[in-house]
Amino acid sequence: MAGPSKTSPWILSAAIFLLLEIAALALVGQSSSLQNVWINRFSHRVKGALWTGGERARNFVRLDVQNRELAEENAMLREKLRRFQLAQADSMQQAQVAALGPRDNFRFVPAEIMKVSRNTQHNYIILDKGSEDGIVPGAGIISGRGVIGLVGAVSRHYSYGMTLMNNRVSVSARIGADGVAAPLVWDGIHKDRALLLDLPLHYEVTPGDTVWTSGHSSVFPAGIPLGTTDRMRIVAGASSEVDVHLFENFSAVRYVTVAINTGWAEIETLEEP
Amino acid sequence: MRGSRFIWICIALVAGQVLIGNFLNLSQFVLLTFLPAIILCLPQSVGTPWALGIAFALGLVVDFFSGSVLGPTCVALLPVALLRFPLLRLVFGSEMFDRRENLSVKRHGLPGLLLVMLAANALFLLVYIIVDSAGTRPFWFNLVRFLVSLVLAVIVSLPLMSLLLDPENN
Repeated sequence: MAGPSKTSPWILSAAIFLLLEIAALALVGQSSSLQNVWINRFSHRVKGALWTGGERARNFVRLDVQNRELAEENAMLREKLRRFQLAQADSMQQAQVAALGPRDNFRFVPAEIMKVSRNTQHNYIILDKGSEDGIVPGAGIISGRGVIGLVGAVSRHYSYGMTLMNNRVSVSARIGADGVAAPLVWDGIHKDRALLLDLPLHYEVTPGDTVWTSGHSSVFPAGIPLGTTDRMRIVAGASSEVDVHLFENFSAVRYVTVAINTGWAEIETLEEP
Repeated sequence: MRGSRFIWICIALVAGQVLIGNFLNLSQFVLLTFLPAIILCLPQSVGTPWALGIAFALGLVVDFFSGSVLGPTCVALLPVALLRFPLLRLVFGSEMFDRRENLSVKRHGLPGLLLVMLAANALFLLVYIIVDSAGTRPFWFNLVRFLVSLVLAVIVSLPLMSLLLDPENN
């Protein structure tokens, strides 16, 4: 009982204070144009701060929806870029065409990661898109910062895949725009490191060179940046391997794009004996 | 009798404040005021809501008859009225409220009264100078005006305070 009896006079006093203070400020504003401008400026500042805060809060609540929209837009832009690159390749010299990789035709589907493991040697990923969305086994999973993994199996609404942090996954990569192509695998220890294997002994690598997908595997489109080169080592005197710092942050990734090669079935029929 | 004495002194002080506002313009750096002293010396039986009303009315009267902008004195005096009890409690403790005694030079001592007067005048001048300058005057000007006026207000308010308070306790 003591609480409300002590609090209510204070609430009453504060209310009267606010009322009288507003009345006094209104008087000041009405009797002097200088003060009127000042009060208006102050009130606009307060209103601006309130609106900005409200807008920020609203945006924060809508972040999830905005991310989904951005992921969809990203997939659409990726597809457009790919078409543009292919159209441009038609008008280039044969050598330049070869540098771009095979004449692949990819379709891109945005997806959200439902689950991803990071602590084992065989890390996997589950996406919220499945066969009903056009996902097929063997499709590549990419993000704006590089390769995530590849789809292994699909159900109607979900896809299961292996991430690059899985020692069964190998991605065909290339050092620089026209460098040598080599398989890229996870180093098995770090979340942001990979190894570029089986490089010819005579091939020299400058630390800091960008590593791209080569496009030779028909799982990933050519030209996706993967990371940068670091130290080079000779392995058993026969070939060399290079440490690669991956651009991808597997701890933070949430939205991905599934790259589906629409010519995959045709390629498979050619590969059949 | 004591109540009517207080009211008459208050009326005289408000009239004095109006006269100072109209005829005693010492410098643009000097703002001579003793209205916070009147609010602080209100008897304890006058609660905060009433003190707020009195502050508003006093400010309005002074602004109206001083011929200046209507309202800044009200704006500045209202926070003093709102924080009157917390300020007194902070300086003199809650015993004063338990015994329901009014301010007194004899009981509460000059240093305490000086401190509470300094805080009340600082609050009044801070708000008044901000509203009066309306963002048009430089910071140094406002600072000098604040410091000079604060010293002057405390010097003038202390004797007036002893006049306002119950003569038996002084």
